[in-house]
Amino acid sequence: MTDPDWRRVFGLREAGVYYALLILLATLAALAGSRGLPPYLAPQNLGNILYQASLVGIIGVAMTVVLITGAFDLSVGSVAALAAAVLVGLAGEIGFIPAALAAVTTAIAIGLLNGVVVELVGINAFIVTLGTLTAVRGLVLVLTDGRSLMVEQPETLAQMLAFESSRFAPFWPLLLIAAGLIALSVLRRSLLPGAAAALLAFAALLAGRSFALAAPVGYLILFTAAVWFVLRFTVFGRRIYAVGGNPEAARLSGINIHGYRIGAFILSGAAAGFAGVLFGSRLGAINPTALQGTELTVIAAAILGGTSLFGGAGSVVKTVIGALVLFTLTNGFNVLNLGANYQGLIEGAVVVAAAAIYTVGGRTRSKPHRTADTAPGTAATA
Amino acid sequence: MVITPLLLLEGVAKTFPNGTAALRGVDLRIVPGRVHGLLGANGAGKSTLIKILAGALTASCGTIRWKGEAAQWKTPQAAKAAGIATLYQHIPLVPTLSALENVLLDQGGWCRHLPAERRRIAALVASLGDPFGLDTVVGDLPIGARQMVALAQALAGGAEMVVMDEPTASLAGHEREAVYATIRRLAREGKAVLFVSHFIDEIVALTDEVTVLRDGMVALSAPTYDLNEASIAQAIAGRVVRALDKSGRSQGGTGNVVALRDVGSPGTLAPVTLDLAAGEVVGIAGVLGSGRTELLHAIFGADPRATGSVSVDGRQIERLPEASVDAGIALVPEDRARQGYVPQFTVAENISLAHLRQFAHAGLFPSGAREGAFAAEMIVRLAIRAPGADALVTELSGGNAQKVVIGKWLTPHTRLLLLDEPTAGIDVGARTDILRLIRRLADEGLTTILVSSEFEELIAVCDRILVMRDGAVVAERAADGCTEEELILLAGGTRPSLAAGAQA
Repeated sequence: MTDPDWRRVFGLREAGVYYALLILLATLAALAGSRGLPPYLAPQNLGNILYQASLVGIIGVAMTVVLITGAFDLSVGSVAALAAAVLVGLAGEIGFIPAALAAVTTAIAIGLLNGVVVELVGINAFIVTLGTLTAVRGLVLVLTDGRSLMVEQPETLAQMLAFESSRFAPFWPLLLIAAGLIALSVLRRSLLPGAAAALLAFAALLAGRSFALAAPVGYLILFTAAVWFVLRFTVFGRRIYAVGGNPEAARLSGINIHGYRIGAFILSGAAAGFAGVLFGSRLGAINPTALQGTELTVIAAAILGGTSLFGGAGSVVKTVIGALVLFTLTNGFNVLNLGANYQGLIEGAVVVAAAAIYTVGGRTRSKPHRTADTAPGTAATA
Repeated sequence: MVITPLLLLEGVAKTFPNGTAALRGVDLRIVPGRVHGLLGANGAGKSTLIKILAGALTASCGTIRWKGEAAQWKTPQAAKAAGIATLYQHIPLVPTLSALENVLLDQGGWCRHLPAERRRIAALVASLGDPFGLDTVVGDLPIGARQMVALAQALAGGAEMVVMDEPTASLAGHEREAVYATIRRLAREGKAVLFVSHFIDEIVALTDEVTVLRDGMVALSAPTYDLNEASIAQAIAGRVVRALDKSGRSQGGTGNVVALRDVGSPGTLAPVTLDLAAGEVVGIAGVLGSGRTELLHAIFGADPRATGSVSVDGRQIERLPEASVDAGIALVPEDRARQGYVPQFTVAENISLAHLRQFAHAGLFPSGAREGAFAAEMIVRLAIRAPGADALVTELSGGNAQKVVIGKWLTPHTRLLLLDEPTAGIDVGARTDILRLIRRLADEGLTTILVSSEFEELIAVCDRILVMRDGAVVAERAADGCTEEELILLAGGTRPSLAAGAQA
């Protein structure tokens, strides 16, 4: 195959978010060490960060798809809260699984509504989803009557906790994925998957066989992998990038651009709904202001991951890394007791700095480049 | 009597850094109180000349005298301050402000809406024949009235010469009359007008003097009363393009492949009925705004308001782009950057975009190998100069990017190829390649509709040519024995109702 442009693959623009995470982790580890705190990079703490980032990560993956198609969804925080309210409100009467299905269905319906109004009526996505952000939050208040709801039935509560808080050992799955990546590496005669495989195997061995992660981390990994696969390897993924990259060219190539954008909104609703189910299951309770402002964290994660707000470029893996950067900051402030008052200031500065790097980096290249893991499967063109 | 020229150009030439010589020594003499017509085919140098007058470009050599003194404007502001106002086709107004606010937009000062200012502008607008209300929001005005707002803005700034770049191209009949009346009024008041148009009949009716550019030089310069439409058309044409071999067309196949029945679009396109045989190349001759692009979009189903029916091989096609692509209708749009390719995609990805399922395993997983092979085939077949199939399409020159946009349709699946100005803005070599390609595809049996404002290209490539004007097909000619002058006259000369031999 033709060699990839290594300077591009490892450049700030392509890999900046990985560097940011590594530098952040190294800094926090050094600070923890110098203050005589327990080692920051302990598997247990890293597992915690993953757990804390999982809800935003799940919503962020779907948000990235929406952004790639050139649209925007502000309603996700409210939709997740509504799904949690529906779950907690119904679970006592109809049981956990039916209530969870009802919650996700409700969220999907709102995603569909967003998509239809944006695409078929032709109103700007920012305005429409700002409206649903407010209206759905209002609906949560109506449903909960402004009070916290709780699941009273002990069996149902146990089911919910099991769904959210059970743990799994990532040792064998990690090794399995590493083996798959090595196979891919050999098959495509490309080094990158092999390098990733080595990293994963190393992490698995380091953490050990008894190390366990919370279930939401598993859901995040599965969902990210599925969406990554669709975006990178399927006809649908290619068309999603085309719809965002140049909607008119996509339309004149016979692609149903409205269908794809509505589909992205539905995915966004579904992901927010699932995150809401996880959130509601965490405590078996929901208060009406829960998850307020989540949409902004999600969009910040996508921007940190280099997703273009103009559509046509973005990577779900990097959005998840972006979410990890944000939650590592939060976690670091808490663990090291660095003064929580500075947290917002630092987070905001990090997001703007990331956007500046992407914009300036893009300008000096003078040509639009897609992110590395969306690059085409051109291995066999030579 | 000798009239002092307001503007005098002598030997003005412009060569661009890439070596293109757009103007090769142009003389122009503009006199106050007279309307001067400027004509020329696409690429003749009209736009470059206008930009030099407007201060957007500077001439490479030659002298420009304004009121008898040497001048060279470096910025549009400088030209405007000197007294030359240029009205482009795209009118730079703020649509949310009132007409009065827009007229005063480029005036300095702190205070708006002084009663004295308002009276001055009201008097000015009255002298133009009151084409708009001062307090109307510009976004609510028709295009013709917006041009008048731009004109009032220019005159309020003290313009002595007004350059109008195809002001009537996008206007309906009665709006054109208003523009003509205003131009005559300006001339009576002693302003000089340089009027650029593709419509020979309005040039003859409106102007006092005519300059025709061809290949960056003046092909004709004379008082209008010495000229007629035919002599102007002859001066515009005269570029010779070698006719391509069309011998293959008779073997192209039998029977009609494509049938259009009353394909139209309310307000922009009168219904068109047309049958096309296999391997036939039909040209659409028409100037900007003649309905040529609207026709292609209506056929392709890209215009949701389109009416009528389209059949390919006897099967009627649902009027959606998706259905058209499935049925083998292909559209190469006019603006390749805005409508043709996805800038973030590679050459291979752009070429495979419209038929992605054909290049995918199980119709679902795009195969880099199949895409790459097809792209490599197109790179050879269309002589695309690209670093490789995995280069970004934005790294290619305009002509090569255009070939990519054409290449994505060259699968055996395509039955009807719609080409909208495929040679606009590309270099001569790529242009010849594309024209040869169209002919070769026709010989292989592909039916093509080719839109071009380069009429000599149509004559060289097409089997027959339809002439469009004002949203309707006004004439049909066989390409053999048809001349460029004739097409120029039909597309921009005497109105269709008067055209001899016109077949609607």
